[in-house]
Amino acid sequence: MSNEIWVLAEHQDGKVKGITFELLSGGVEFSKKTGQKVVAILLGSGLEEATKGLLPFADKIYLLEHPLLSPYTSDAYESALLPLLKEHQPSLFLGGSTSIGKDLFPRLAMRLETGYAPDCTELSVDEEGRLTVKRPLFGGKVFAEMVFSEARPQMATVRNHTFLIHENLRKSAEVLSIPIQLDPSSIKKKVIQVEKSPGERLDITEADIVVAAGRGIKGPEHFKIIEELANVLNASVGTTRAVVDEGWRDLKDQIGKSGKNISARLYMAFGISGAIHHVLGIGTCKTIVAVDTDPNALIFNYADYGIVGDLFQIVPALTEEFKKVLASEG
Amino acid sequence: MALDFTFTEEQEFFRQTIRDTVNRMIMPRVKELDEKEEFPWDLWREFAALGYLGLRHEEKYGGMGTDTITQMIFYEELARGSCGFFMSVTMQILMGTYFIGRFGNEEIKQRILVPAIKGEKIGTICFTEDQSGSDLAGTRTLATKVDGGWRINGRKQWITNGPIADFATVMATIDPKLGLKGLNFFLVERKTKDRDGFVPGQRLHKLGSRCSVTGELVFDNVFIPDENFLGEEIGKGVQYAGEILNEVRVMTGMSALAIAKEAMEDARQYANNRIAFGNPISKYQLIREKFAKFWAWYEAARTFLYKCAWMIQNNIPCINECMLAKYHATEMCMYAVEEAMRIYGGNAFCTEYPVQRYWRDAKFLLYGGGTHEVLCDYLGRVYCKG
Amino acid sequence: MGMEIVVLVKQVPDPEATVKIKTDTELEIENKYFTNFFDEIAIEAALRLKEKFGGKVTVLTVDPKRVDALRRGISMGADEAIQIADPALEGSDPFAIARVLAAYLKDKPFDLILAGRQAMDDDSGIVGIALAEALNLPHVHSIIGLEVDISRKEAKVIREVENGKEHLTCPLPALFTCQKGLNTPRIPLVMNVMKAMKAQIKKLDLASLGIETSKVGSPSIQAKVIRYLPPPKRPPVKMIKEEFPDNVKTLVRLLREEAKVI
Repeated sequence: MSNEIWVLAEHQDGKVKGITFELLSGGVEFSKKTGQKVVAILLGSGLEEATKGLLPFADKIYLLEHPLLSPYTSDAYESALLPLLKEHQPSLFLGGSTSIGKDLFPRLAMRLETGYAPDCTELSVDEEGRLTVKRPLFGGKVFAEMVFSEARPQMATVRNHTFLIHENLRKSAEVLSIPIQLDPSSIKKKVIQVEKSPGERLDITEADIVVAAGRGIKGPEHFKIIEELANVLNASVGTTRAVVDEGWRDLKDQIGKSGKNISARLYMAFGISGAIHHVLGIGTCKTIVAVDTDPNALIFNYADYGIVGDLFQIVPALTEEFKKVLASEG
Repeated sequence: MALDFTFTEEQEFFRQTIRDTVNRMIMPRVKELDEKEEFPWDLWREFAALGYLGLRHEEKYGGMGTDTITQMIFYEELARGSCGFFMSVTMQILMGTYFIGRFGNEEIKQRILVPAIKGEKIGTICFTEDQSGSDLAGTRTLATKVDGGWRINGRKQWITNGPIADFATVMATIDPKLGLKGLNFFLVERKTKDRDGFVPGQRLHKLGSRCSVTGELVFDNVFIPDENFLGEEIGKGVQYAGEILNEVRVMTGMSALAIAKEAMEDARQYANNRIAFGNPISKYQLIREKFAKFWAWYEAARTFLYKCAWMIQNNIPCINECMLAKYHATEMCMYAVEEAMRIYGGNAFCTEYPVQRYWRDAKFLLYGGGTHEVLCDYLGRVYCKG
Repeated sequence: MGMEIVVLVKQVPDPEATVKIKTDTELEIENKYFTNFFDEIAIEAALRLKEKFGGKVTVLTVDPKRVDALRRGISMGADEAIQIADPALEGSDPFAIARVLAAYLKDKPFDLILAGRQAMDDDSGIVGIALAEALNLPHVHSIIGLEVDISRKEAKVIREVENGKEHLTCPLPALFTCQKGLNTPRIPLVMNVMKAMKAQIKKLDLASLGIETSKVGSPSIQAKVIRYLPPPKRPPVKMIKEEFPDNVKTLVRLLREEAKVI
């Protein structure tokens, strides 16, 4: 049993994703208590750039390169990872609460018969490396604190922005190439096409800052002012179920209930009344700002800052003010 | 171990299904239905396709043959949505088609009942006239026997679905001097180029239930064949009417429950969030009293109504009980919608808020199935007789 | 010919239901339940395949008492309803449930298993995927598009990922978990609602499945809940009361200096 903290690294087009740096930073915090080594597990092909990006953040990088590991399929990743996990049985195996993490970790935990907690919003360890997590239930109405058995690894997928990226980690990871045998016939699924959403913005579950508008926007054409604000803040644009049901925005932008839970550092809600479904989706955002014309809007019960006002007046003014303030710092 | 105040698992499942159906099909359109004041043909067809219009009729005509309690659960859930739509649907399910199903010959059932259950032909029932509402003996629409049939002359008012009806069950008198004993039911269809019938008259614009189109029906010496006489014998019209009045009253009571509940749930949310003098107004005693009184009254009304449904289902005579339960539930509803308006304060006056719609829709409950003044006179007399 | 499709369903508290923490380890949930929203999408997907290819749709649940989700399936058009219940299942986590389902399904003929992407009570999204593992089936999670080529015994699916969609082919039999956007579940016809009310639900216990009790229930779980907590409390909102445009300036200043998020 290796007493290590493993993090499944996610990458796209050669770049390591923010969530991975967050998890590695978290792992490093844990290691201060436990003395364990932090290991990044990197799978795929053409991983030179990604490896470089990970070097300062880990003690070790296990590099699993094989053409069949790109693009991601749970079949291929599972085939490659299971022997490794069975051999090493690390203390902890963390992944992002992402389309990959949510897809892969249940299979691994089922096969390994170890504990797995999905979509965690708070994690801690004791000196022995025993993990305790907190995760939301019932859409966020209640949280559960969970502990793990002796089985190893203890597995968890973690929501974006749960850990802060350590800005000054100066490790230099030891890179170990792990030879893998992948039988092509064991990979049943085939990715035939990847369709990317137009635009350069991050998914709302990944973005640091999310700005959103609800019914108060009165029409799809008015989203322009929200997009302009998003541009200045390098933010992503979200919306509510009401707007998606009207057909004004795509389902992928929907926050809450059957849409997405977001955990942005800053969330700004414009013309959103604050139905329970929506507010449960924003519960783990660090700072919430609400602007609405109705002083009794429920959203104000869940915000940190509020303005009773007309978004058509406030949003463009905010865009200008942010532009000014951000420009002044060079 | 006789008393059991629970619904079966199957009845709860049925209720959940109707509730979900109403939430999906009707709730998103309630405001629009009220504002447009037009019969919602697309919604009608969608709803008819689900099969609910056959709730009370035999399977051989495309119906479901459900029991009374199941029907009342249906009414209670349907009435939560659009009151106008509820009125049109229940007219089709119950009053408008009952006598056809009960007394129509096979040819009439195939020609009228079967398409009615599919929602393709719209039916209604005609009682009210210019000079008579609760006072049935005041009916002046005349049915005169002629060779091979009858001639109907008169005007009926306040006819739900009237402007769009394809057929109507009409209460007419063979001789006003006979009073109640002269009353009979007749099937009259809409006038076409091939067939004599009624003509829609003036359309009424109503305070509430606005998507249910209501108006006058004019019978201008209309000839109807013998088989259109709906009954086994002449002179039993009032007795036949009594057969469905129990159900009609309990059904009306169900809509009173639903409207009251929706109004007060809205008011609750408002009261919990509206801040005045530093507190949500639900913290103030005078507001709390309104909810408490409503709640007590509502629970009693609901229990009483379902008891009546149970009595109807078990063929236990319950004319008085049904009148009492309708009267009780409607008065409770009047209280609830009035208080809900008061809780909203000035905002109640704004049509953006739904609370005024409940108040408007509810008013009609005072008249459907007999005005309360008439009911109380009757019930008081019965009570005093001992 | 046709397809044999199994749909996993669960009865969960309505999102409107209040959930209170009674004690550290006990929740008090308002008795308002409904069929898990994503499971209805799975039922609808199964019914559409049956309409296209013929075959049979079975709805399956693991629950000691609630079968409304099964009745919902029948009312929408499913053919058979199965409930697995046993006192030994008390305290099971999603992995235990998956083991129980695998014990039942391992010797059954099926072309496809459909499930919702997650249950709206524990929000874990584990049962479907773990079941696929236990049955050695390929799976695709969170699908928003589904087409079956029955002659090639293959499905073409679209799965939702961050900032995009992936198109995949997957051989059958397989398991897919369904996401909003795949379809709009039908409103049941009253005829089928009546049928569902009278439906005979096949009830199975653990003995009939041949699974050891050590594999289910509280003794079998590897990660357990030790405490329930309310959501993290936020301090009361700071309403910015100034007139426009000062309120905008103040907000930006607070976000920079106080919240430090810009």
